[in-house]
Amino acid sequence: MALRTAILRHIRVPVQTLTLTGPKQHEQWSVCGSSLRFMSSHDDHLTKEEVIDRVLSVVKCFPKVDPSQVTPDVHFQKDLGLDSLDNVEIVMALEEEFKLEIPDKEADKIDSCNLAIEYISHHPMAS
Amino acid sequence: MASPARTELLGLYRSLLRTAREFCDYNVREYVKRRTSDGFRQNRNLTDPDLIASVYREGKNQLAVAKRQALVYSIYAPKVKSIMELDAAITTNTTN
Repeated sequence: MALRTAILRHIRVPVQTLTLTGPKQHEQWSVCGSSLRFMSSHDDHLTKEEVIDRVLSVVKCFPKVDPSQVTPDVHFQKDLGLDSLDNVEIVMALEEEFKLEIPDKEADKIDSCNLAIEYISHHPMAS
Repeated sequence: MASPARTELLGLYRSLLRTAREFCDYNVREYVKRRTSDGFRQNRNLTDPDLIASVYREGKNQLAVAKRQALVYSIYAPKVKSIMELDAAITTNTTN
């Protein structure tokens, strides 16, 4: 115990205050206070339109897909002529785009743009 | 021997692709993806349940190998990125 206090006393660092110029400091805090809330929960949730746009662009970029056929209602296997393996690949690409990890059970159900949009727009972690 | 269900097969496919993403080396990463996709497409028309079960088992073994190698390769990750990855970064920068 004595050793501990001795060491602590030895390594004590004097308190230093950062002197910021007045107006600058105010600017900083007002910015933080108004628009950004650090450590707060996910406030800026994706809008449905944004989700639709990004899902469609991911599907259009898939090598075997004809981009002109892609609409929000399109079914991957029935309408786009993809197989079940392509379906898995598209869902994985969507995972990467929205930084998600979709569990196998859910991923198996996603077989159309509609369901993908629905799932992602309701996912709290989608970004 | 009972052949694996469709969801199990797709699950294996997904696990292999997920493991492929973990490789830090671009070439290995792309190879594992390509090999997975080729392997599944090569055997897509199999009907014999025993044969399907045996290729499924082989796939499972390969998944274990891939998982282990992803870990081993992560220790010896390449110090510089592949030109292919850099190229993607540059094109996205110029388009922005």
